[in-house]
This record gives sequence, structure tokens and C-alpha cells, in this order.
Amino acid sequence: MNFPSWTLLGQSLLSGIFIGSLYGLLGLGLSLSWGMLRQINLAHFALAFLGAYLTFQLTSVVGMDPLMTLALILPCFFAFGVLMQWLFSRFAISPFNSLLVTFGITVIIESLIQWLWTADYRRMDSVYADMKFKVGTLYVPIPELFTLLIAILLSLSTWALLRYTDLGRALRASAEDGQIAAAFGVNEKKLALLLSGFSAAFAGVAGLCLALSYTLSPSQIYAWIGVVFAAVMIGGLGNPIGPLVAGIVIGVAEAITMALISPAWAPLVSFSLLIIVLLTRADKI
Amino acid sequence: MKSSLPTSARIAVVGLGLAAVPFFGLPPFYESFLYLIFSAVVLATSWNILSGYSGYFSFGHGAFFGAGMYTTATLAGRLNWPFLWTLPAAGIVAALLGVGVGAVVFRLRRLRGELFALLTLAVTFVLATIVLNTPIDGGQGVSLSAVALPKLLSSPSSTLYILGLAMALLTLWIAYAVYRSKLGTGLFAIHDDEDVAEVMGVPTFRYKLVAFGLSCGLAGMAGGIHAMFISYVTVGETFSIIVPLNVVLMSVLGGTRHWFGPAVGATVITALLYAFTAGDFPVAGRAAVGLILIVVILFMPEGILGRFIPRLEGRKRPKEAPGSPAVAPATLKGGEAKGETLLTITGLSKAFSGLQALDGAALQVRRGEILGLVGPNGSGKSTLINLVSGHYRSDSGSIVFAGQDVAGLPAHRVAQSGIARTYQIPRPFLHLSVLANVALPAMFGAAALDRQAAEREARRWLEFTGLAAKADALPGELNLHQRKFLELARALASRPRLLLLDEVLSGLTPAEIGHAIETIRAIRDLGASIIFVEHVMHAVMELSDRIVVLNHGKVIAEGQPQDVMRRPEVVSVYLGKPHA
Amino acid sequence: MKLITSMILAATALLLALPAAAAPSGPPIKIGSTLALTGPLSATAMIHKLTGEIYVEELNKRGGLLGRPVEWTVKDDQSKPDVARTLYEQLVTVDKVDLLIGPYATPNILSAIGVAQKYQKVLVHHTLGIPSLAKYDMQFPAWSVGYNPETTVPNTLFDALASTTKFPKTIAIVTSKFPSVYMMSVGAREVAKKRGVKEVLFLEWEFGNKDYGPIASRVKDANPDFVFVGAIGMEGNQLLDAMKKIDYVPPLQFFMYPAPGPLAKAPGAEHAFAASIFEQHPPFTNNPTAAAFVKIFNERAAKAGLPDNSVETQAAASYSTWQVLEAAVTATKSLDDKVIAAWLKKNKVDTIQGRLRFDGPSNFGDDLMRIKQVQNGHWVTVWPKEWAAPGVKVLAQ
Repeated sequence: MNFPSWTLLGQSLLSGIFIGSLYGLLGLGLSLSWGMLRQINLAHFALAFLGAYLTFQLTSVVGMDPLMTLALILPCFFAFGVLMQWLFSRFAISPFNSLLVTFGITVIIESLIQWLWTADYRRMDSVYADMKFKVGTLYVPIPELFTLLIAILLSLSTWALLRYTDLGRALRASAEDGQIAAAFGVNEKKLALLLSGFSAAFAGVAGLCLALSYTLSPSQIYAWIGVVFAAVMIGGLGNPIGPLVAGIVIGVAEAITMALISPAWAPLVSFSLLIIVLLTRADKI
Repeated sequence: MKSSLPTSARIAVVGLGLAAVPFFGLPPFYESFLYLIFSAVVLATSWNILSGYSGYFSFGHGAFFGAGMYTTATLAGRLNWPFLWTLPAAGIVAALLGVGVGAVVFRLRRLRGELFALLTLAVTFVLATIVLNTPIDGGQGVSLSAVALPKLLSSPSSTLYILGLAMALLTLWIAYAVYRSKLGTGLFAIHDDEDVAEVMGVPTFRYKLVAFGLSCGLAGMAGGIHAMFISYVTVGETFSIIVPLNVVLMSVLGGTRHWFGPAVGATVITALLYAFTAGDFPVAGRAAVGLILIVVILFMPEGILGRFIPRLEGRKRPKEAPGSPAVAPATLKGGEAKGETLLTITGLSKAFSGLQALDGAALQVRRGEILGLVGPNGSGKSTLINLVSGHYRSDSGSIVFAGQDVAGLPAHRVAQSGIARTYQIPRPFLHLSVLANVALPAMFGAAALDRQAAEREARRWLEFTGLAAKADALPGELNLHQRKFLELARALASRPRLLLLDEVLSGLTPAEIGHAIETIRAIRDLGASIIFVEHVMHAVMELSDRIVVLNHGKVIAEGQPQDVMRRPEVVSVYLGKPHA
Repeated sequence: MKLITSMILAATALLLALPAAAAPSGPPIKIGSTLALTGPLSATAMIHKLTGEIYVEELNKRGGLLGRPVEWTVKDDQSKPDVARTLYEQLVTVDKVDLLIGPYATPNILSAIGVAQKYQKVLVHHTLGIPSLAKYDMQFPAWSVGYNPETTVPNTLFDALASTTKFPKTIAIVTSKFPSVYMMSVGAREVAKKRGVKEVLFLEWEFGNKDYGPIASRVKDANPDFVFVGAIGMEGNQLLDAMKKIDYVPPLQFFMYPAPGPLAKAPGAEHAFAASIFEQHPPFTNNPTAAAFVKIFNERAAKAGLPDNSVETQAAASYSTWQVLEAAVTATKSLDDKVIAAWLKKNKVDTIQGRLRFDGPSNFGDDLMRIKQVQNGHWVTVWPKEWAAPGVKVLAQ
């Protein structure tokens, strides 16, 4: 076996970072609602794909710029997240039941997508699709770079928001101990609604990134669950930076396996990584 | 549950009835359809044996089902084993896989809940990758169309039907037997509070492993049959995330706290999904299934059986026989003579990430005495209790109890050797009745009684602690005072030779404290030896035969209560600290 | 007994139906099948459903089968082989359909074959990817790929390449481990070797892979003359996207089982090859039946909201299935499975993909797979020459 060229390694590394940033972006909202609201929100994936299809529709049919579609999609998704949390707190749903209810929501959204757009593959044409630039021998595609930047931006600003603002402190306090936070005048319910809304809006952003770089089909909703869950878990529940870092670690580990060994063994690497992290660092997650 | 027929017999009768279906001349479709239900029942019910009973939700059931499918596919499809012989092999392979995973995972205390779910899911994907990239599958799938199906009955559908039925009955019977057995009781305790279960004598590691092995083995055998049913096995289909999702769904929908719940859920979901196959609007049908799921979970969060069974059982629950004998509690005297040394601790040390909680502590407890253990917060009292009860492992030092070194033994072995403890903040098993809470240590602790004897024993101690009227209540219905006494009753029910009382008086009103002191004195009069950790100084002075004072993990004084509390080093430790 | 009854029925029906276009009458002939209307395989099911509906409608307009109206029951197997098996059992033993048509995708077809075998029913099916798995003597493949497509299809492909001036010296084979695709890729390896093409790269990925960047980079690094891509559905598009992102277009590239519509439209797909049994251009559409079908299918597909409306392999295979069944029933004037099967084994059937025969191993006949190429953003058949679109030839980069 020849040693692979540096270009191949570098390009694979980039590819891993880019897909990892999408894992992280998908994981961000999931991790927040999981860690702070004790909701295992499977519907996050369906919502992201619904967002992707809406972006596709508004771009390809209505002729909007893909980035502009967020102005329409985000408020709707935010409202959806608020509504979902309202439902959950109204019925006092336990974490595992939240998984099942959101699975139900996933199935409904999947059916909705199939009904509106058929199960056939959809690929968004946009002005950004072909944009790229070169650094040395390496190519950097703009849509993927955009995904990376937006993932970094959202993760960091969520982190800063949680750490430095009163709102963030209140959120963390009620996640730590709801009763005590409530005693200090924190309106836990309102905060949960807000957080869930943001979480859903993040799914909308991830949807945009999916639409920019990927071919869409309804059953793809399920394809991302395993690896994104792994990123969320390795990154630490409720940690806004964790999913991105873990996502990139997984993405790079898979990409390097693909470049050096065989693409078919890549899942073994990422999920073994998850198993090792769980076995050695369970106390810290 | 009272009824004319025991449940095992009812399972057998229903089974026989269903076994007659192929002879009614119904179209074979019904056999195939029922087979799909049986297969789902096996998957969901077997999953429940570990995951529902003990709360270790596995997302890896697809891996074990798949391991069974590929075992049969390989043995029958490639190596030409007779099909029936592959089924035990499929069960064994899956069970070994499960036990192997469990042997690693169950050693880690924190790997519960979502972490366990994720880990088992990861195992699924790892297994899928291995199967796909090795000759087990290799990428082209494995066909079983050339494998001969033994002619158990006239037609292949009937044969698979009978196999599916037998598998479902076996699984239900095992699930029921576990549910009724000591194993099941232990698993339900693990579900509510694993640490407490272990400290009360439940061998949690072994129980989880056995349950996981059973759960995986049954799923594996079902997988072997299913490989034959679909006749062509592929990795993408077998190890899909949809399989574990459906299994969890069925079980939770039916109710995970009952052995029969998952079977109900499996039947409902399979029938529901099938109901929309014929319609002209399959996509709308799928959405309807999602909607029904949401509505059911919202309005029946404990599942279908979880909602209806308590009502049925509430009606059937036998009334307490009037004037049931309040037998005096058994004696707690051990074999030793009074005054003999029961527990000897020497050089006991324990550090937590650099913080030295215990630093060469040494003390002795004599038979029949109450040893007061006092010291300021953080002096190491709770650590000492946790070390003696086996919850933590010491860094160095020995704990000799009745001539046996118990340092390093797992907590359940310590409990079985005759040491029981209470928790400062009561930790009852929230889903078990007060009676079951107390009966559990009687079954698993030093007394090691069978279930009926344990319940009799439990009633005695409930009587003793004044909780008899609450026997059928859930712990959530008790106030703090009653919960503290529940802690006491639980510790006593195992008939310990040494009782570790961790701040039983904290948080009680003065009147309640008086009552508690009376009770503790009564316990001592039964012959128990007690280590009494307490901040309420007047109680310590009143009850203790001797006092040991801890500070910074070291014993700084030991002797008669009045004497010790006057010593300057003790006074300086307590200076300025309120005593109650 | 059943045979006699159905023969009498058939004869009566024939007498009644003698004026060819008379409205069909009598009890309907029931034909049953399942399709993956929901679940991961549902992208293709719509094509087969539309085709079936069009065919049955036309058939009834023509006077039905044996003068009786035809009724098609199609159920949703949810893309699951165990559900497919149960549904076929239901079709046969409860709904008591007269004839069966296969579902979509290899695992589900194998389930259906199992049921057909049990009840000794004829099963004509349209998308079985692995012929060697079809062991039942009354199953008939209407997608005519021959018994050894893993050898014959790559050979046709290399023949096509040999007709240009740029026959490849080196090949990279990259493939999904999706069973039917993987089989073809492994076969292509052998064929390439035999034809003196040097393999510079062989890569496999798990079906469901998401990151195609490293695969694209490795292909680029290996710098082959020709890339053989074994990719089902959207995988081909994803790999193409990834290659485009590093400004790499292979000199020659072939896709096994792509999603044809999206692939043709993808940037970088110009001059890409794929295999097909039918494209909607002459000489295929010189057949008036084919032309009529293409016209109505295009309309219906647009109305159903399918992004790609053209008739190609899937729709053509599906249509052929119905043609095979109709031909056999009409010729034998019988609904008896044994009679139909015996006739099919001895006779050839003209379909829109060409003339099919069923006398080879496992009832497979000729490999009718042709090579098509994206030219100016559209698929056109380029090989063999007699099926090439008018004025079109194989283009090398």
C-alpha cells in the first residue's frame, strides 16, 4: 500500500471537519433540550429535514435566496418548539416518554414530507452550490465552510449566552435544580419554553445547511440519528460547545479511516470511540 | 393476584388454544399475521426482562435479534446445519454477546439511563459494521431459500407459526417467572435505586447480567426463526435503528412495569401498522400511527397496562385479615456473647480525588452496644458508614466483622453477612409498596427468607415501627417522619447483627425525636449492636454506651459519653458549634 | 377441478369478448401485489404504482383479460420483507387473487417468491437484482438482465468503451455494500481484469454512508482512466457532488443503479454512463405501445408531483411485467398457474424493452441491459448501436 498523498489526507481532514460541523450543528439543539430539559427530542432530526425541504421549496420554487429563507423558517420553528415544550410540561412527560412522543412527531413530519414532496430525491440548486476556493492544493467549498462557521457561531454564542447573561444563568440554575431556582424567582416554565424554541430554531438552521450540501429524501431523517447522538453524548449533555467538538472529532476520525483504510470500516471507528468514551468517562457526561 | 387459575396455567391454556389455530382450516395468512405478532411479542417481552424491570433501557435489542438472525443464516444457510439446531445456537450466541457487553458495562456504576441506551446502540452499529465487512455477510446478504424447513405441521406457514407461538409462550413464561421470582424483585429494586438495592443485599451485577443474558438469548432465538421467515438476511435491514425504536415503543406503550405489558403493546402496534397496509392512503396511515402513539403516551404515560392493572389489582387486593397477629419481632441477637467484639476497624483510609476523607481510622464495636459516632461535618462519619456497608472500597485498612474481613467485599455480600444501614435522607424504592420495601431486605439480607416469610417478617417490623397501616401505600405517600421509620424497618427486616444508623433524627420535630429515641432503645433491647451517627447531641448522650469522635478522618477520642465530651480536644473541635 | 372451471370460464369469457374492444364483463380477474409505498424504498414505488395503474386502465379499455375486467390490488409492504411476505400470503389465501405481480427490491421479491412457491403461483417480478437467489421455477423476471448480470453488464459496458478511441487502461471501482449493487461491482472487478484493465483502486462503503469527501479524494489521487461507481439511489449523486467539490471529473465514469433523474441534472455528470433497459427515445419509442405509454406516463408522473417524469428502467421493467402476464394469459386463455408457467418457458414475449425469453437458468433469458450516457443533460442510449438514439454515439471526454 502506498502512503496516501498529503493532499488526500488534507482534503479528507477538511471533509471530516465539515461533516463533523454538521453533526455538531444538528447536535446543538438536541444537546440543549436533552441536558437542560431532560427531553430526548427525536423530532429534532425530522424538524431539520422539514427545514431543509422548506428551504428547497422557497429557493427552487419561490426563488428566494437560501439564506433569506431563514427569516421565514426560524420564527415558525421557534413557535413549534415552544408549542412542543408547552405540550410536554402540560402532560409532565418523562424523558423516555419524550423520546416516544417525539418519535410520533417524527413519523408525522416524515409522512408530511412524503406527501408534499414525494419520496423522490430532491437536490437544491443554489448560487452557492458551486462556490469554492483553493488553499494550496486543497479545495474549500463555500456551503460546507458556511456550515462550519455557523456551527461555531451558534455554539459559541449559546455558550456565551448561558455563561454571561442573566437569562443564561437562570437557565443553567433551573437545569441544575428547578425548585431552588424557582425559589429565587426564576420562571422555570417560561425559560423551558424559550429553550425549546431556540432548540427548534437551531434545527431550522441545520436544515438550511443540509439543503445547501445534501440530497434530500424523507427516509434520510433516520440516517443521522446514531452518529449525532454519539456526538451529543461524547460532547456532554447540555454543553453547547461539546457537540461541535465531538462532531468534528468523529467526522475527522471517520474521514481519516476512509482515507487510510476503507470507508466501510468508518462506522466502527466512530462508534467504538463512543463506546470508549462512555466506558471511561461516564462520570463526566 | 387471586384467581381460579395460576398465571402459568393460564399461559399454557391460551397457548394450547392458539396452537390449535392451524387445525381450524383458516387461510394461512392468519398464521403469518399472528407470527408477526408473536415475533414482536418475543422482542418486546424479552427486552422488558432487563430494560423494563431494571430500568436499563437498551437500544441494542436489534443487535441481539440480528446476532440470532445471522447465526441461523450462517449455520443453516452456509454450513448446512438443520434449521432447528441453529435456534439454540442463535440464542446462545446472542446471550453470550449480551453477557459479554454486560460484563464490561454493568461494572460501571454510572452507565445507566441514556448512557446505557446509547452504548447498546453503538454496539449495534459496531456489530453491523463487523458483519458487513467479514465473510459473515460480506455485502451480498445471506439467502436461506435453500434451507429445508422441518415439517412440524402440514404447511410451512403452520410450522413457522408454531415455532413463533412456542417462542412467544416461552418468553412470556420466562418473563412471568422472573417477574414473580427473587430475581424480578431484585431487578425492580435496581430500577428504583440500584445503590440501595446492592446495600440491602441484592447482587445487582449478577442479576443484571442474568437478566441481560435471558433477554438477549430470547431475542436471538426469535431472530433465528425470523431469518427463516424472511429467508434473505441483509445488514441494512437487520441492524436498522427502526428495530430497537419499535421494541422500546411497544414495551412502553404496553407498560414496562408488568410482565404482560410489552406483549399488549407489541400486539397493538403490529396490528395498527398492519391495518394501514391495505388502505389507499399508506402515507396518511403512517401519520395516523404517529398521532395515535402521541395521544396514547400523553394520556397513559405508564402504558396501557400501567393504566388499567392498578385498578384491577386495587379491586382484587385481599383485605388485611382482621386481628392479624402482631407477633413480637424476632430477636436480633447474634451468636456471640454480649460484650464480645463484633466489628474491628483498623487503619481505615479513603481519599476522594485528593481529599482525605478517612485517614487511618480505627474503632471497635462490641456486641449489644450502641456506639455513638460523632464529629463535625466532613469529619468522615458518612464515609465510614459507606465503607463498612461496602458502598465504597477502602484505600487501605481492614474491617473485620464477626471474624471475617469484609473490606473489599461487594456491598450485597456485606449485607448478607449481617450489616444493615439506614440513609440520612431516606431512599425508599419509590415504585414498591411500603410492605415490599421492607420485605426486600428480609429476602436479600442476612435473614435470606423466602417471599412469604419475608412479607410476614416485614409486617412485624412495620408493626414495630408503627407503619402497619401504611403497608400497601407507596413511599411517596409518607411524610418525612414515616419515611425515616421506613428506613429503620427496612434495616431491621434483614435481621442485622450490626446496624448502621446515619442521622435518623435529622429533620424531625422534638416530639418525633422522642419517639425515635424510644424506638432505638427498643431495638437495642432486642439485642442489636448499633453504630449511631448523629448530630442531635442529647440523643447521642442518652443512647450511646460509648462514643467515638472523628475529626479530619481520624479518631481523636473514644470512651464513655460524659467523659469524652469533656475532653479538651473534643471541646475545641465542637467549640462554637451548636449541638442540635 | 379448478383448472376445468377456469378453462370454462375463460372460454366463456373469450366467446363473450370476441369483438375485441367490447367492454369487459363478468367477475373481475384479481391481480395482487405489494409495493414499498412507505419507508426507505418508497422513492421508487410511486413509479411502479403509476405504471400499474396506467396499464390496468389501458387493459380494461382494450377489453380486459379474457374479456373480464381486471382489478389490481396493491398493498403497502412498508419496505419490509416480513410484511411483504405476510401481505402476499394475504393476497393469495384471503383476497384469493388470481395472479401475482412482484414487489419492489430484492429482499421483498424474495419474500414474495417464497409465498408464490408455497402456493404454486406464478410470480412475474420486475426488480430482482440478484438472479442467483431466485430458486423457484415459476418466478419470471420481467427486468431482463440475464442470469449473470455481474459479468454480462460490465462486458457490455467495456464493449461500449471499446467503440471509442479512449479505452481505459486503469480503473477504480468504488461501491456501496448494498447487496445487488455490490454483486455488480465485484463482477466488474473480474471483467476488468479479464479485459486487461488495471485496477488502481477498489473501495467499499457501508450503505448509508454520509461523507463522500475522502472517497472522492482517493479516487482523484488514484487518477484512473475510468471510475466504476456501484451506488444505489442518491449515493451516486453524493459521490458526484463530492468529486465536483474538489474539481475532479473522471475521464470516464459509470454509475450502477443511480437515481437517473437527479443524476443527469447533477453538475459533473455530463458524459457519465449508466445501464438501462429503456429510454424514451427512438428506437425504443418506435414501438407504438411504448410511445403511448411514455406519453401517458409523462403526464401522470407530472401530475403526481414526481420530480423526474421520464420512462426508464424502473417504469419499463414494471410495464414489461404486465405485458408478460397479459401475453401469457391471453395466449393460454387460462388463469392456471401451471399452464401460464409452462407457456412462458416455451415462448417469447415482446415487451417495450425488447423480446424476452425465460428458458435460461432460473427462467432468466437475455441480458437486455444497454448503456446510456448523459449528453447535454439528458440520458441517451449509446450502446449497443442498434438501440442507440438516432445520431448518437458513445462519447469519451
